[in-house]
Amino acid sequence: MVRWDSGRALRRSALPAVLLALILSGSNGPAAGQTPAPFATPPPGSPPAKIRPYGEVGGCPEEPALFHRCATEKAKTFNPPRTPDGVPDFQGFWGRAGIRNMENIEEHPETMDGSGGRSAIVDPPDGRIPYQRWAAAKRDAHFSTYLDAAQLCLPHGSPRFAYGGTKFVLQSRGYVFMLNDYADTYRIVPTDGRPHLGASIKLWEGDLRGRWEGNTLVIDVTNQLAMGPIDHVGNFVSEFAHVVERLTMIDRNVIHYTATIEDPRVFTRPWTIAFGWRRNTSPDTEMWEQGCWEGVQFALKHTDYGLKRYPGAFAK
Amino acid sequence: MQIRVAAGAIAALVLVGAAQAPAARPAQTEPAAPSAVPRTADGRPDFSGIWQALTTAAWNIQDHQAEKDVPGGQGIVEGSDIPYLPWAVAKRNENYKNRLTADPLASCSQPGVPRIMYMPYPFQIVQTPAYIALLFEYTHTTRHIRFGGAHPPGPIEWALGDSRARWEGDALVVDVVHFNDRTWFDRAGNFHSEQMHLVERFTLPGRDHIRYEATVEDPKVFSRPWKMAMPLYRRIETNVQILDYECQSFGS
Repeated sequence: MVRWDSGRALRRSALPAVLLALILSGSNGPAAGQTPAPFATPPPGSPPAKIRPYGEVGGCPEEPALFHRCATEKAKTFNPPRTPDGVPDFQGFWGRAGIRNMENIEEHPETMDGSGGRSAIVDPPDGRIPYQRWAAAKRDAHFSTYLDAAQLCLPHGSPRFAYGGTKFVLQSRGYVFMLNDYADTYRIVPTDGRPHLGASIKLWEGDLRGRWEGNTLVIDVTNQLAMGPIDHVGNFVSEFAHVVERLTMIDRNVIHYTATIEDPRVFTRPWTIAFGWRRNTSPDTEMWEQGCWEGVQFALKHTDYGLKRYPGAFAK
Repeated sequence: MQIRVAAGAIAALVLVGAAQAPAARPAQTEPAAPSAVPRTADGRPDFSGIWQALTTAAWNIQDHQAEKDVPGGQGIVEGSDIPYLPWAVAKRNENYKNRLTADPLASCSQPGVPRIMYMPYPFQIVQTPAYIALLFEYTHTTRHIRFGGAHPPGPIEWALGDSRARWEGDALVVDVVHFNDRTWFDRAGNFHSEQMHLVERFTLPGRDHIRYEATVEDPKVFSRPWKMAMPLYRRIETNVQILDYECQSFGS
Protein backbone atom coordinates (compact mmCIF):
# COMPACT_ATOMS: atom_id res chain seq x y z
CA MET A 1 0.00 0.00 0.00
CA VAL A 2 1.51 3.29 -1.07
CA ARG A 3 0.83 6.17 1.26
CA TRP A 4 -0.76 9.06 -0.55
CA ASP A 5 1.98 11.45 0.46
CA SER A 6 4.60 9.21 -1.14
CA GLY A 7 2.72 9.70 -4.37
CA ARG A 8 2.92 13.42 -3.78
CA ALA A 9 6.64 13.14 -3.22
CA LEU A 10 7.37 11.05 -6.26
CA ARG A 11 5.28 13.37 -8.36
CA ARG A 12 7.83 16.05 -7.62
CA SER A 13 10.50 14.19 -9.53
CA ALA A 14 8.97 15.21 -12.87
CA LEU A 15 9.88 11.91 -14.47
CA PRO A 16 7.27 10.97 -17.04
CA ALA A 17 7.72 7.26 -16.32
CA VAL A 18 7.07 7.81 -12.63
CA LEU A 19 4.06 9.95 -13.40
CA LEU A 20 2.62 7.26 -15.60
CA ALA A 21 3.30 4.61 -12.99
CA LEU A 22 1.42 6.70 -10.48
CA ILE A 23 -1.57 7.07 -12.74
CA LEU A 24 -1.63 3.36 -13.43
CA SER A 25 -1.23 2.41 -9.79
CA GLY A 26 -4.08 4.72 -8.85
CA SER A 27 -2.08 6.23 -6.02
CA ASN A 28 -3.41 9.73 -6.57
CA GLY A 29 -3.87 11.49 -3.29
CA PRO A 30 -6.66 13.66 -2.11
CA ALA A 31 -6.71 17.30 -3.13
CA ALA A 32 -4.13 19.59 -1.66
CA GLY A 33 -4.44 20.48 2.01
CA GLN A 34 -1.89 22.01 4.33
CA THR A 35 0.09 18.77 4.45
CA PRO A 36 3.83 19.33 4.84
CA ALA A 37 6.31 17.56 2.62
CA PRO A 38 7.13 14.09 3.96
CA PHE A 39 10.82 15.02 3.91
CA ALA A 40 10.43 18.38 5.62
CA THR A 41 13.13 19.89 7.82
CA PRO A 42 12.75 18.66 11.43
CA PRO A 43 11.90 21.49 13.87
CA PRO A 44 14.72 23.42 15.56
CA GLY A 45 16.27 21.53 18.47
CA SER A 46 15.67 18.11 16.89
CA PRO A 47 18.47 15.55 17.14
CA PRO A 48 20.50 14.95 13.93
CA ALA A 49 18.37 13.32 11.24
CA LYS A 50 18.91 9.63 10.55
CA ILE A 51 20.55 9.26 7.18
CA ARG A 52 22.75 6.85 5.30
CA PRO A 53 26.47 7.53 5.74
CA TYR A 54 28.22 9.70 3.17
CA GLY A 55 31.14 8.54 1.03
CA GLU A 56 34.26 10.32 -0.10
CA VAL A 57 35.09 12.40 -3.16
CA GLY A 58 38.51 13.67 -4.27
CA GLY A 59 40.02 12.88 -0.87
CA CYS A 60 37.31 14.82 0.98
CA PRO A 61 34.22 13.59 2.81
CA GLU A 62 31.09 14.10 0.70
CA GLU A 63 28.93 15.52 3.48
CA PRO A 64 28.43 19.16 2.42
CA ALA A 65 29.81 20.99 5.47
CA LEU A 66 32.82 18.67 5.80
CA PHE A 67 33.41 18.72 2.05
CA HIS A 68 33.36 22.51 2.03
CA ARG A 69 36.05 22.77 4.71
CA CYS A 70 38.27 20.11 3.12
CA ALA A 71 37.82 21.38 -0.46
CA THR A 72 38.61 24.97 0.53
CA GLU A 73 42.02 23.74 1.75
CA LYS A 74 42.69 21.51 -1.26
CA ALA A 75 41.85 24.28 -3.73
CA LYS A 76 44.77 26.31 -2.38
CA THR A 77 47.36 23.93 -3.81
CA PHE A 78 45.69 22.23 -6.78
CA ASN A 79 46.87 23.40 -10.19
CA PRO A 80 43.99 22.75 -12.61
CA PRO A 81 44.33 21.77 -16.28
CA ARG A 82 43.99 24.81 -18.55
CA THR A 83 42.35 25.66 -21.87
CA PRO A 84 44.43 27.13 -24.71
CA ASP A 85 43.26 30.54 -23.40
CA GLY A 86 44.96 29.82 -20.08
CA VAL A 87 41.88 29.58 -17.86
CA PRO A 88 41.02 26.46 -15.82
CA ASP A 89 39.56 23.77 -18.06
CA PHE A 90 36.26 22.54 -16.60
CA GLN A 91 35.12 20.81 -19.77
CA GLY A 92 33.47 17.41 -19.50
CA PHE A 93 30.55 15.67 -17.83
CA TRP A 94 29.80 16.32 -14.17
CA GLY A 95 27.36 14.99 -11.61
CA ARG A 96 26.66 16.27 -8.12
CA ALA A 97 28.55 14.59 -5.29
CA GLY A 98 27.26 14.33 -1.74
CA ILE A 99 24.28 16.61 -2.15
CA ARG A 100 21.13 14.59 -1.47
CA ASN A 101 19.14 17.76 -1.40
CA MET A 102 16.89 17.94 -4.44
CA GLU A 103 13.93 17.30 -2.14
CA ASN A 104 15.13 19.64 0.63
CA ILE A 105 18.39 21.58 0.76
CA GLU A 106 18.11 21.71 4.57
CA GLU A 107 18.82 18.67 6.72
CA HIS A 108 16.07 16.09 6.48
CA PRO A 109 15.73 12.43 7.45
CA GLU A 110 15.71 9.51 5.06
CA THR A 111 12.15 8.39 4.42
CA MET A 112 10.57 6.13 1.86
CA ASP A 113 10.20 9.28 -0.28
CA GLY A 114 13.47 11.08 0.20
CA SER A 115 17.10 10.10 0.22
CA GLY A 116 17.78 12.02 3.44
CA GLY A 117 20.72 14.35 3.76
CA ARG A 118 22.61 16.81 5.88
CA SER A 119 22.01 20.44 5.06
CA ALA A 120 23.73 21.83 1.98
CA ILE A 121 23.87 25.17 3.80
CA VAL A 122 27.31 25.84 5.23
CA ASP A 123 26.58 29.38 6.38
CA PRO A 124 24.81 30.15 8.69
CA PRO A 125 26.43 27.35 10.69
CA ASP A 126 23.10 25.92 11.89
CA GLY A 127 22.41 24.87 8.30
CA ARG A 128 19.04 26.60 8.16
CA ILE A 129 17.91 29.10 5.55
CA PRO A 130 17.64 32.48 7.33
CA TYR A 131 14.12 33.30 6.18
CA GLN A 132 12.26 36.31 7.42
CA ARG A 133 9.25 35.16 9.41
CA TRP A 134 6.68 35.69 6.63
CA ALA A 135 8.93 33.92 4.13
CA ALA A 136 9.34 30.85 6.36
CA ALA A 137 5.55 30.56 6.60
CA LYS A 138 5.27 30.96 2.85
CA ARG A 139 7.83 28.22 2.31
CA ASP A 140 5.85 25.88 4.57
CA ALA A 141 2.72 26.41 2.47
CA HIS A 142 4.39 25.98 -0.92
CA PHE A 143 4.40 22.18 -1.06
CA SER A 144 0.66 21.89 -0.63
CA THR A 145 -0.22 24.89 -2.80
CA TYR A 146 1.95 25.00 -5.91
CA LEU A 147 3.28 22.82 -8.66
CA ASP A 148 7.05 22.59 -8.83
CA ALA A 149 8.13 24.31 -12.07
CA ALA A 150 10.22 21.18 -12.70
CA GLN A 151 6.94 19.32 -13.23
CA LEU A 152 6.46 21.59 -16.23
CA CYS A 153 10.05 20.96 -17.35
CA LEU A 154 10.95 24.62 -16.92
CA PRO A 155 14.55 25.74 -16.33
CA HIS A 156 15.79 25.58 -12.73
CA GLY A 157 17.53 28.92 -12.23
CA SER A 158 20.19 29.50 -9.61
CA PRO A 159 21.25 27.77 -7.43
CA ARG A 160 19.06 24.75 -8.30
CA PHE A 161 20.75 24.38 -11.70
CA ALA A 162 23.91 23.27 -9.88
CA TYR A 163 22.30 20.29 -8.14
CA GLY A 164 19.45 19.49 -10.55
CA GLY A 165 20.59 17.22 -13.37
CA THR A 166 24.02 16.25 -14.67
CA LYS A 167 26.14 18.79 -16.51
CA PHE A 168 28.17 18.92 -19.69
CA VAL A 169 30.59 21.86 -19.57
CA LEU A 170 32.10 23.41 -22.71
CA GLN A 171 34.37 26.42 -22.94
CA SER A 172 35.43 28.80 -25.66
CA ARG A 173 37.13 32.15 -25.56
CA GLY A 174 34.92 34.46 -23.53
CA TYR A 175 32.32 31.83 -22.62
CA VAL A 176 31.57 28.93 -20.33
CA PHE A 177 28.60 26.79 -21.40
CA MET A 178 26.82 24.39 -19.05
CA LEU A 179 24.43 21.94 -20.65
CA ASN A 180 22.09 20.13 -18.29
CA ASP A 181 20.37 16.82 -19.00
CA TYR A 182 17.39 18.03 -16.97
CA ALA A 183 14.80 19.10 -19.56
CA ASP A 184 17.60 19.76 -22.12
CA THR A 185 18.31 23.09 -20.39
CA TYR A 186 21.53 25.05 -20.60
CA ARG A 187 23.36 28.06 -19.28
CA ILE A 188 25.46 30.45 -21.35
CA VAL A 189 27.97 32.31 -19.18
CA PRO A 190 29.86 35.12 -20.91
CA THR A 191 33.20 35.89 -19.23
CA ASP A 192 34.01 38.96 -21.32
CA GLY A 193 33.09 41.51 -18.67
CA ARG A 194 29.89 42.71 -20.27
CA PRO A 195 27.34 44.35 -17.94
CA HIS A 196 24.16 42.68 -16.73
CA LEU A 197 20.89 43.06 -18.64
CA GLY A 198 18.50 45.81 -17.66
CA ALA A 199 16.17 45.01 -14.77
CA SER A 200 13.07 44.60 -16.93
CA ILE A 201 14.31 41.40 -18.59
CA LYS A 202 13.82 38.43 -16.26
CA LEU A 203 14.97 34.98 -17.30
CA TRP A 204 14.32 31.46 -16.01
CA GLU A 205 18.07 30.79 -15.75
CA GLY A 206 18.78 34.37 -14.70
CA ASP A 207 21.31 36.66 -16.34
CA LEU A 208 24.72 35.03 -15.93
CA ARG A 209 28.04 36.88 -15.92
CA GLY A 210 31.27 35.00 -15.33
CA ARG A 211 34.75 36.06 -14.36
CA TRP A 212 37.93 34.27 -13.35
CA GLU A 213 39.41 34.97 -9.94
CA GLY A 214 42.62 32.95 -9.88
CA ASN A 215 41.52 29.37 -10.49
CA THR A 216 37.91 30.06 -9.55
CA LEU A 217 35.06 30.67 -11.98
CA VAL A 218 32.79 33.24 -10.35
CA ILE A 219 29.27 33.45 -11.78
CA ASP A 220 27.18 36.44 -10.87
CA VAL A 221 23.44 35.75 -11.27
CA THR A 222 20.75 38.42 -11.36
CA ASN A 223 17.48 38.99 -13.29
CA GLN A 224 16.00 35.64 -12.25
CA LEU A 225 12.34 35.14 -12.99
CA ALA A 226 12.26 32.98 -9.82
CA MET A 227 8.95 31.32 -10.70
CA GLY A 228 10.08 27.94 -9.45
CA PRO A 229 11.21 26.66 -6.04
CA ILE A 230 14.82 25.67 -5.43
CA ASP A 231 13.89 22.22 -4.12
CA HIS A 232 10.88 19.92 -3.74
CA VAL A 233 9.67 21.25 -0.37
CA GLY A 234 9.32 24.74 -1.77
CA ASN A 235 12.40 26.58 -0.53
CA PHE A 236 12.70 29.69 -2.66
CA VAL A 237 14.50 32.87 -3.61
CA SER A 238 12.81 35.88 -5.15
CA GLU A 239 13.25 37.75 -8.41
CA PHE A 240 15.42 40.20 -6.47
CA ALA A 241 17.97 37.53 -5.49
CA HIS A 242 21.62 38.12 -6.22
CA VAL A 243 23.47 34.82 -6.33
CA VAL A 244 27.26 34.53 -6.54
CA GLU A 245 28.42 31.05 -7.50
CA ARG A 246 32.03 29.93 -7.22
CA LEU A 247 33.46 26.85 -8.95
CA THR A 248 36.99 25.70 -8.17
CA MET A 249 38.67 22.46 -9.18
CA ILE A 250 40.26 20.63 -6.24
CA ASP A 251 41.24 17.57 -8.20
CA ARG A 252 41.13 16.70 -11.93
CA ASN A 253 37.79 15.07 -11.31
CA VAL A 254 36.21 17.17 -8.57
CA ILE A 255 34.83 20.72 -8.50
CA HIS A 256 34.06 22.59 -5.29
CA TYR A 257 30.82 24.49 -5.84
CA THR A 258 29.46 27.22 -3.58
CA ALA A 259 26.63 29.70 -4.01
CA THR A 260 25.97 32.71 -1.80
CA ILE A 261 22.43 34.02 -1.93
CA GLU A 262 21.66 37.60 -1.08
CA ASP A 263 18.00 38.60 -1.14
CA PRO A 264 17.24 41.07 1.66
CA ARG A 265 13.52 41.13 0.89
CA VAL A 266 13.27 37.44 1.82
CA PHE A 267 16.17 36.57 4.15
CA THR A 268 17.61 38.13 7.29
CA ARG A 269 21.17 37.67 6.03
CA PRO A 270 23.12 36.20 3.07
CA TRP A 271 23.57 32.43 3.13
CA THR A 272 25.80 29.92 1.38
CA ILE A 273 25.43 26.37 0.10
CA ALA A 274 28.39 24.14 -0.83
CA PHE A 275 28.92 20.68 -2.29
CA GLY A 276 30.95 18.87 -4.93
CA TRP A 277 30.68 18.02 -8.60
CA ARG A 278 32.24 14.71 -9.59
CA ARG A 279 33.49 14.08 -13.13
CA ASN A 280 31.94 11.29 -15.15
CA THR A 281 35.12 9.72 -16.56
CA SER A 282 33.38 7.15 -18.75
CA PRO A 283 34.83 7.85 -22.23
CA ASP A 284 31.69 7.16 -24.25
CA THR A 285 29.36 9.47 -22.32
CA GLU A 286 26.90 11.37 -24.49
CA MET A 287 24.08 13.69 -23.49
CA TRP A 288 20.82 12.70 -25.17
CA GLU A 289 17.51 14.44 -25.73
CA GLN A 290 15.22 14.17 -22.73
CA GLY A 291 12.05 15.54 -24.31
CA CYS A 292 10.72 16.31 -20.84
CA TRP A 293 7.66 18.39 -21.71
CA GLU A 294 6.76 16.10 -24.62
CA GLY A 295 6.35 13.29 -22.08
CA VAL A 296 4.87 15.20 -19.18
CA GLN A 297 2.17 17.33 -20.82
CA PHE A 298 -0.17 14.45 -21.59
CA ALA A 299 -0.17 13.19 -18.00
CA LEU A 300 -0.34 16.59 -16.34
CA LYS A 301 -4.10 16.77 -16.01
CA HIS A 302 -3.97 13.56 -13.96
CA THR A 303 -0.96 14.54 -11.91
CA ASP A 304 -1.24 18.21 -11.05
CA TYR A 305 -3.55 17.47 -8.07
CA GLY A 306 -5.24 20.78 -8.67
CA LEU A 307 -2.10 22.56 -7.51
CA LYS A 308 -1.54 26.05 -8.85
CA ARG A 309 1.31 27.40 -10.88
CA TYR A 310 3.70 29.32 -8.68
CA PRO A 311 3.54 33.02 -9.48
CA GLY A 312 6.77 34.03 -7.72
CA ALA A 313 7.47 35.35 -4.24
CA PHE A 314 6.05 38.82 -4.77
CA ALA A 315 3.40 38.15 -7.39
CA LYS A 316 0.66 40.71 -7.44
CA MET B 1 41.19 36.22 -61.89
CA GLN B 2 42.37 38.73 -59.31
CA ILE B 3 45.43 39.44 -61.43
CA ARG B 4 43.25 40.11 -64.44
CA VAL B 5 41.01 42.44 -62.47
CA ALA B 6 44.04 44.25 -61.12
CA ALA B 7 45.52 44.51 -64.59
CA GLY B 8 42.24 45.92 -65.89
CA ALA B 9 42.17 48.40 -63.03
CA ILE B 10 45.70 49.48 -63.75
CA ALA B 11 44.86 49.89 -67.41
CA ALA B 12 41.89 52.06 -66.42
CA LEU B 13 44.11 54.01 -64.08
CA VAL B 14 46.54 54.67 -66.84
CA LEU B 15 43.74 55.96 -69.04
CA VAL B 16 42.32 58.12 -66.27
CA GLY B 17 45.79 59.12 -65.21
CA ALA B 18 46.46 60.40 -68.70
CA ALA B 19 43.77 62.99 -68.17
CA GLN B 20 44.09 63.55 -64.40
CA ALA B 21 46.75 64.25 -61.86
CA PRO B 22 48.43 60.98 -60.88
CA ALA B 23 47.03 61.17 -57.32
CA ALA B 24 44.95 57.97 -57.38
CA ARG B 25 46.18 55.47 -54.78
CA PRO B 26 46.45 51.81 -55.71
CA ALA B 27 44.40 50.94 -52.60
CA GLN B 28 41.37 52.55 -54.18
CA THR B 29 41.63 50.43 -57.27
CA GLU B 30 41.95 46.98 -55.66
CA PRO B 31 38.89 44.79 -55.72
CA ALA B 32 37.13 44.48 -52.36
CA ALA B 33 38.83 41.73 -50.38
CA PRO B 34 36.48 38.83 -49.66
CA SER B 35 35.48 39.09 -45.99
CA ALA B 36 37.71 36.68 -44.12
CA VAL B 37 35.97 33.56 -42.89
CA PRO B 38 36.83 32.88 -39.25
CA ARG B 39 38.66 29.62 -38.63
CA THR B 40 39.29 27.48 -35.58
CA ALA B 41 42.76 26.58 -34.29
CA ASP B 42 42.56 23.35 -36.30
CA GLY B 43 41.81 25.28 -39.50
CA ARG B 44 38.10 24.50 -39.84
CA PRO B 45 35.50 27.17 -40.60
CA ASP B 46 34.42 28.53 -37.23
CA PHE B 47 30.63 28.62 -36.92
CA SER B 48 30.73 29.90 -33.32
CA GLY B 49 28.37 32.75 -32.65
CA ILE B 50 24.73 33.74 -32.43
CA TRP B 51 22.66 33.17 -35.59
CA GLN B 52 19.10 33.56 -36.76
CA ALA B 53 17.10 32.70 -39.85
CA LEU B 54 15.21 35.53 -41.52
CA THR B 55 12.78 33.47 -43.55
CA THR B 56 9.08 32.93 -42.95
CA ALA B 57 9.62 29.16 -43.29
CA ALA B 58 8.49 28.44 -39.74
CA TRP B 59 4.99 29.37 -40.94
CA ASN B 60 5.30 27.72 -44.32
CA ILE B 61 8.38 26.31 -46.06
CA GLN B 62 6.69 26.90 -49.42
CA ASP B 63 5.62 30.13 -51.14
CA HIS B 64 2.71 31.66 -49.25
CA GLN B 65 0.83 34.91 -49.14
CA ALA B 66 0.29 36.91 -45.99
CA GLU B 67 -2.50 36.12 -43.53
CA LYS B 68 -3.33 37.77 -40.24
CA ASP B 69 -0.20 37.50 -38.05
CA VAL B 70 1.59 35.48 -40.74
CA PRO B 71 4.01 37.35 -43.00
CA GLY B 72 3.96 36.35 -46.63
CA GLY B 73 7.11 34.71 -47.86
CA GLN B 74 9.00 32.90 -50.55
CA GLY B 75 9.60 29.22 -49.92
CA ILE B 76 12.89 27.55 -49.02
CA VAL B 77 12.11 24.30 -50.87
CA GLU B 78 14.31 23.75 -53.91
CA GLY B 79 12.03 23.54 -56.97
CA SER B 80 9.17 24.65 -54.68
CA ASP B 81 7.26 21.32 -54.83
CA ILE B 82 7.34 18.77 -52.02
CA PRO B 83 7.03 15.27 -53.54
CA TYR B 84 4.38 13.84 -51.21
CA LEU B 85 3.00 10.38 -51.81
CA PRO B 86 -0.78 10.52 -52.50
CA TRP B 87 -1.86 9.53 -48.95
CA ALA B 88 0.50 12.13 -47.53
CA VAL B 89 -1.03 14.96 -49.56
CA ALA B 90 -4.35 14.24 -47.88
CA LYS B 91 -2.67 14.15 -44.48
CA ARG B 92 -0.87 17.44 -45.11
CA ASN B 93 -4.18 19.05 -46.15
CA GLU B 94 -5.83 17.81 -42.98
CA ASN B 95 -2.91 19.15 -40.93
CA TYR B 96 -3.30 22.51 -42.65
CA LYS B 97 -7.01 22.63 -41.86
CA ASN B 98 -6.36 21.91 -38.16
CA ARG B 99 -3.08 23.79 -37.90
CA LEU B 100 -4.03 26.17 -35.11
CA THR B 101 -4.51 23.29 -32.67
CA ALA B 102 -2.72 20.38 -34.36
CA ASP B 103 0.62 22.13 -34.86
CA PRO B 104 2.92 20.56 -32.20
CA LEU B 105 3.94 24.10 -31.25
CA ALA B 106 0.39 24.78 -30.10
CA SER B 107 1.05 22.49 -27.12
CA CYS B 108 4.57 23.86 -26.67
CA SER B 109 6.23 20.68 -27.93
CA GLN B 110 9.62 21.11 -29.55
CA PRO B 111 9.66 22.17 -33.20
CA GLY B 112 12.20 19.41 -33.87
CA VAL B 113 14.78 19.35 -36.64
CA PRO B 114 14.81 20.99 -39.14
CA ARG B 115 12.08 23.46 -38.08
CA ILE B 116 14.05 24.68 -35.07
CA MET B 117 16.74 25.90 -37.49
CA TYR B 118 14.36 28.50 -38.96
CA MET B 119 12.22 29.49 -36.01
CA PRO B 120 12.27 33.30 -35.71
CA TYR B 121 14.44 33.16 -32.57
CA PRO B 122 18.23 33.26 -32.26
CA PHE B 123 20.48 30.33 -31.38
CA GLN B 124 24.11 30.02 -30.39
CA ILE B 125 26.62 27.63 -31.95
CA VAL B 126 29.35 26.27 -29.66
CA GLN B 127 32.03 24.57 -31.72
CA THR B 128 34.75 22.25 -30.45
CA PRO B 129 36.82 19.82 -32.57
CA ALA B 130 34.84 16.77 -31.46
CA TYR B 131 31.41 18.18 -30.72
CA ILE B 132 29.08 21.04 -31.62
CA ALA B 133 26.21 22.30 -29.49
CA LEU B 134 23.34 24.37 -30.88
CA LEU B 135 21.61 26.23 -28.06
CA PHE B 136 18.24 27.61 -29.14
CA GLU B 137 16.34 30.39 -27.41
CA TYR B 138 13.00 28.81 -28.39
CA THR B 139 11.95 26.47 -25.52
CA HIS B 140 15.64 25.98 -24.59
CA THR B 141 16.07 23.37 -27.28
CA THR B 142 19.57 21.87 -27.30
CA ARG B 143 21.04 20.05 -30.30
CA HIS B 144 24.03 17.79 -29.70
CA ILE B 145 26.12 17.24 -32.85
CA ARG B 146 28.98 14.76 -32.53
CA PHE B 147 31.89 14.13 -34.88
CA GLY B 148 32.60 10.47 -35.46
CA GLY B 149 30.87 7.63 -33.72
CA ALA B 150 27.93 5.84 -35.28
CA HIS B 151 24.27 6.60 -34.72
CA PRO B 152 23.14 4.55 -31.73
CA PRO B 153 21.14 1.50 -32.79
CA GLY B 154 17.44 2.32 -33.03
CA PRO B 155 14.62 2.37 -32.91
CA ILE B 156 14.81 5.68 -31.04
CA GLU B 157 12.30 8.48 -31.58
CA TRP B 158 13.49 11.99 -30.82
CA ALA B 159 12.18 15.39 -31.92
CA LEU B 160 15.73 16.44 -32.80
CA GLY B 161 17.01 13.09 -34.05
CA ASP B 162 20.55 11.84 -33.55
CA SER B 163 23.14 14.04 -35.27
CA ARG B 164 26.59 12.81 -36.42
CA ALA B 165 28.91 15.20 -38.21
CA ARG B 166 31.82 15.06 -40.62
CA TRP B 167 33.81 17.60 -42.61
CA GLU B 168 33.68 17.57 -46.40
CA GLY B 169 36.33 20.17 -47.17
CA ASP B 170 34.97 23.34 -45.61
CA ALA B 171 31.42 22.01 -45.39
CA LEU B 172 30.07 20.69 -42.11
CA VAL B 173 27.86 17.76 -43.04
CA VAL B 174 25.46 16.44 -40.40
CA ASP B 175 23.64 13.14 -40.80
CA VAL B 176 20.45 12.97 -38.73
CA VAL B 177 18.22 9.93 -38.07
CA HIS B 178 16.00 8.62 -35.22
CA PHE B 179 13.15 11.10 -35.53
CA ASN B 180 9.63 10.81 -34.23
CA ASP B 181 6.59 11.39 -36.43
CA ARG B 182 5.15 14.13 -34.24
CA THR B 183 7.01 17.22 -35.44
CA TRP B 184 6.13 19.31 -38.49
CA PHE B 185 8.25 21.31 -40.90
CA ASP B 186 6.07 24.38 -40.45
CA ARG B 187 2.77 25.81 -39.26
CA ALA B 188 1.22 24.88 -42.62
CA GLY B 189 1.17 21.17 -41.76
CA ASN B 190 4.05 19.94 -43.88
CA PHE B 191 5.21 16.77 -42.12
CA HIS B 192 7.43 13.70 -42.14
CA SER B 193 7.46 10.27 -40.53
CA GLU B 194 9.80 8.59 -38.05
CA GLN B 195 11.69 7.27 -41.09
CA MET B 196 13.03 10.69 -42.02
CA HIS B 197 16.74 10.84 -42.82
CA LEU B 198 18.16 14.33 -42.97
CA VAL B 199 21.53 15.38 -44.38
CA GLU B 200 22.36 18.94 -43.41
CA ARG B 201 25.16 20.96 -44.94
CA PHE B 202 26.52 24.07 -43.24
CA THR B 203 28.95 26.28 -45.14
CA LEU B 204 30.34 29.71 -44.29
CA PRO B 205 30.47 31.84 -47.45
CA GLY B 206 31.22 34.95 -45.41
CA ARG B 207 31.92 36.01 -41.86
CA ASP B 208 28.33 36.86 -41.07
CA HIS B 209 26.22 34.26 -42.81
CA ILE B 210 25.91 30.52 -42.98
CA ARG B 211 24.42 28.72 -45.94
CA TYR B 212 22.19 25.96 -44.56
CA GLU B 213 20.95 23.14 -46.76
CA ALA B 214 19.02 20.05 -45.76
CA THR B 215 18.18 17.06 -47.92
CA VAL B 216 15.06 15.26 -46.72
CA GLU B 217 14.57 11.58 -47.36
CA ASP B 218 11.52 9.72 -46.04
CA PRO B 219 10.20 6.88 -48.23
CA LYS B 220 7.07 6.58 -46.12
CA VAL B 221 5.95 10.14 -46.96
CA PHE B 222 7.83 11.33 -50.06
CA SER B 223 8.35 9.78 -53.50
CA ARG B 224 11.92 11.08 -53.72
CA PRO B 225 14.45 13.07 -51.67
CA TRP B 226 14.02 16.86 -51.72
CA LYS B 227 16.01 19.79 -50.52
CA MET B 228 15.58 23.03 -48.59
CA ALA B 229 18.11 25.84 -48.34
CA MET B 230 18.37 29.23 -46.66
CA PRO B 231 20.91 31.57 -45.12
CA LEU B 232 21.40 31.98 -41.39
CA TYR B 233 22.52 35.45 -40.40
CA ARG B 234 24.93 36.35 -37.64
CA ARG B 235 23.43 38.55 -34.96
CA ILE B 236 26.11 41.22 -34.98
CA GLU B 237 24.79 43.42 -32.16
CA THR B 238 27.70 43.61 -29.73
CA ASN B 239 25.46 43.02 -26.70
CA VAL B 240 23.30 40.27 -28.17
CA GLN B 241 22.69 37.24 -25.98
CA ILE B 242 20.32 34.31 -25.99
CA LEU B 243 17.30 35.09 -23.80
CA ASP B 244 14.46 32.64 -23.23
CA TYR B 245 11.07 31.73 -24.63
CA GLU B 246 9.57 29.12 -22.31
CA CYS B 247 6.37 28.29 -24.13
CA GLN B 248 4.65 26.18 -21.46
CA SER B 249 5.34 28.80 -18.80
CA PHE B 250 2.81 31.13 -20.40
CA GLY B 251 -0.08 28.78 -19.64
CA SER B 252 -2.76 27.89 -22.13
